[in-house]
Amino acid sequence: MIDHSNGNGAGRAHEAGGAGGEVAATATGDGDGRIALRLTVNGREHAVRARTHHTLLEVLRSPQIGLIGTREGCGIGMCGACTVLVDGRLVSGCLVLAAQADGRDIVTVEGLSQPDGGLHPIQAAFVEHTGFQCSYCTPGFILATKALLDEVPDPSREEARDFLAGNLCRCGSYVKILDSVMDAKHRVPAAADAS
Amino acid sequence: MLDAHDRVTGQVPYVMDVAVPGMLHAKVLRSAAAHARIVRLDVSRARALPGVVAVLTGADLEARSDLFPYFGPVFRDQPVLAIGKVRFVGEPVAAVAAVDLDIAQEAVDLIEVEYEELPAVFDSFDAVADGAPLVHSEPPRLGQTFADVIIHSQAGTNICNSFRLRKGDVEAGFAASEHVFEDTFTSPPVQHVPLETHVAVVSVTKAGVTCWSSTQIPYILRSQLAEIFRLPASKVRVIVLTLGGGYGGKCYPKIEPIAAVLAQASGRPVRLHLTREEEFVTVTKHGVSIRMKTGLSADGKILARQSTCHFNTGAYADIGPRLIKNGGYGTGGPHSIDNVWVDSYAIYTNLPPAGAFRGYGISQAAWAYETQMDMIAERLRMDPLELRRRNLLKNGDTVMTGEPIEDAHFRELLDTAADRIGWDFTDWDNGRELVDDGRKARAKGLSCIIKGTVTPSTSTAAAKLNEDGSLQVMTSAVEMGQGLQTAMAFIAAEAMSLPLDRVAISSVDTDFTPYDQQTSSSRSTQAMGGAIVGAIDQIKARLLELASDQLEVSPDDLEFSDGRIRPKDAPDRGLDYGEVVRRDRAGNIQGNGTFQTKGGLDPETGLGIGSVHWHQAVGAAEVEVDLETGHVKVLRYHAGIYSGRTINPVQADLQTEGNVAFGVGQALYEEMLFDNGQLQNGNLGDYMIASINDMPPDLDVGVLENHESNEIHGIGETSLPPVMPAIGNAVYRATGVRVLDLPITAEKVLRGLRARAAANDAAAAESELEPEGAAA
Repeated sequence: MIDHSNGNGAGRAHEAGGAGGEVAATATGDGDGRIALRLTVNGREHAVRARTHHTLLEVLRSPQIGLIGTREGCGIGMCGACTVLVDGRLVSGCLVLAAQADGRDIVTVEGLSQPDGGLHPIQAAFVEHTGFQCSYCTPGFILATKALLDEVPDPSREEARDFLAGNLCRCGSYVKILDSVMDAKHRVPAAADAS
Repeated sequence: MLDAHDRVTGQVPYVMDVAVPGMLHAKVLRSAAAHARIVRLDVSRARALPGVVAVLTGADLEARSDLFPYFGPVFRDQPVLAIGKVRFVGEPVAAVAAVDLDIAQEAVDLIEVEYEELPAVFDSFDAVADGAPLVHSEPPRLGQTFADVIIHSQAGTNICNSFRLRKGDVEAGFAASEHVFEDTFTSPPVQHVPLETHVAVVSVTKAGVTCWSSTQIPYILRSQLAEIFRLPASKVRVIVLTLGGGYGGKCYPKIEPIAAVLAQASGRPVRLHLTREEEFVTVTKHGVSIRMKTGLSADGKILARQSTCHFNTGAYADIGPRLIKNGGYGTGGPHSIDNVWVDSYAIYTNLPPAGAFRGYGISQAAWAYETQMDMIAERLRMDPLELRRRNLLKNGDTVMTGEPIEDAHFRELLDTAADRIGWDFTDWDNGRELVDDGRKARAKGLSCIIKGTVTPSTSTAAAKLNEDGSLQVMTSAVEMGQGLQTAMAFIAAEAMSLPLDRVAISSVDTDFTPYDQQTSSSRSTQAMGGAIVGAIDQIKARLLELASDQLEVSPDDLEFSDGRIRPKDAPDRGLDYGEVVRRDRAGNIQGNGTFQTKGGLDPETGLGIGSVHWHQAVGAAEVEVDLETGHVKVLRYHAGIYSGRTINPVQADLQTEGNVAFGVGQALYEEMLFDNGQLQNGNLGDYMIASINDMPPDLDVGVLENHESNEIHGIGETSLPPVMPAIGNAVYRATGVRVLDLPITAEKVLRGLRARAAANDAAAAESELEPEGAAA
């Protein structure tokens, strides 16, 4: 676990190697040091090849998968811009080796949108409250919000603050991010009921 | 924001998402020495590595007669890759382009370099001392630069540039003063930390240069790339997508020249994307020491102020030569002072280059004058609010650069701030509230600042009214999260009398979008907004002509309404804009607009028109200090700002709240720590920026408008400079600890508390020893 505290913020720890475990037996090296991996990303299975030092973040962004919503901000698990869900758990994509994600179920921001292309209720709340400026950090915040609401469906503002302290927004859109999260908690159950 | 959907789904592309067929990936070897001659640089093993396509050194570039391997927005003092010597730890020494990033990095690791270390200088005072090692032995090469830049460089010294302001007679002012106070304030270098680090993709072919860059200054980048390749500007194309934050750090070329020379050498497009650690040594905010002497009359009116500012500009000038002007005159503050004297210096040292940073010298100046205002108030036993009120600029007063101010709102802003924070000053011995059984102390602080915007400056816009009546606006103003595209769309829709969804704002492509000076200085909504209105005025004039013919109604009797042009007395007879265009077979109707401001300062006196108008802001903070740890928490903050006319209230709130986040970080944590030129905390584990938990739980934004003038005042930066002194002043009243050097770390507060406790103990011991009655 990496303590994600910043200044006075305790923060919710992103998990280093949260996917845990060893490299699965299917992962075998080839001549140029690449191994074959199978990742399920947003419900779709991908067979990819990656070097053993490549991170999940790099592989998600590589042309093999080509999802650009997951972004590097610091490379050391401190900023949360590369936040993804691995088997439902919140992790920093820059801290997880691609090989550790072999066989795992990964959700990125692209996986939140509804089948009809509509927004996930959390995304809709971020639009409604303009919970972003440059929006580089936004996918990370949205996935962190999803993890929060999966764990605590009705968080207090303070709980939400503490949980989100592991994601950094340099534009400082925090007030409206928190407004978005507090609104999202009302929208999410509604969406669940509707489905 | 108009593209909100794409932003929350992660679909909005940044330059780092650009992939061009055949693209190579670049890595840079950076200097491990602060100041050294390069005695051996062997890239042969890197060149031999399979997958490597190009390896370049400064010597390779220098040998090329078709290249000018230097850049910089004022002086061309920065080599694309170090030539002969290195001047800071982290300076690019060699660069590799390879088929993938792993191979590029492996090649960099194979480069052998030997340095002969030279004496280095890091402190701006050491750098101007006799016998200091020279960072640059040659006088700086001046190139085409901005109209407002004033140059007084001193060859043979480390003084890169200086600026002076001479208003009134400062000696006479001090002579007439009842009280004269002199203090020194410092601000450290800090980093912008845009979450998107610098990134560029460049292709160079015989036809010209194409550069995708995360830059705030597409047209300046274009001219500098043209200069490097000795090409006409028309052969260089700069394309900018939305930025993942800029904050000034993406002003002026930084990494694009490296990617460009690699692209040329390899004959393939090259992508260079910095790591966070590289970003930290690419550009910084200026560290500075400001010595400020202020003279006042017996009743607390400031009669004279003299400031000497040593801005540490690092190893290369970047925009330092201009920033010291703003930071220098900025020390005059929002006060009406007849006699002002400023000497401001940009000083070369062997640190990473310092450049533009949100606040642009004013944060550093305001930290000095607004901290000193409270120190003076205490010495005079005055209410700091009252001391400020007595000195704030009013309409008709002259600002520090000598021009009268006509739209002054300082008093209203400050009174509102005092009201919102519950300002309740009684005297200097009281004013703090103890909580948690005396373990914590709470108190309040105020500040007020003035900031100019770059003057003179120019923006241009083009617009076309399409055959379906929709409007397309082409500008080179950069969206970096400030919501500029949305603000421009609001302005265009209103000017063209069109619904918002019929208006599109282009992204930046210098092959198609017209000139803009820079997206910085909180200028774009006003300047580019003005240019857009000018372009639309041309379209409307033509539309009026055509519709007048088509409807056989005099132009004077026609009006624009919601996408239609119609006779005032017969609205039903109106035509859709598109119909007018189609009937005329005009294809489309085009318009061009230019917004230009005039002004500038006299190079000798620093007087003139410092800014086309003046940005104004206040801050009021309530802090809680843990007296056992020294830790400061900002409980409440009021950010007050004058906007003239607000285009997008949500975005105004966001920018202001963002400034508070920036300011809290700079007040309490942010500082780049160097050891002999080596950055010690260049990553987000060791360098703290504000998290959501650092935001004041009670944050109040007050945007003041003036519906009479209706003039748009940019708000991107103005509310930042008040944050640090408002917090510092509150911390002092809570603890009695006056920190003069930012940041106000827990360590400094605790040290101050202990020093005070020790002094109190000593005084108590002393008084016990005194024989009774001796005090009388």
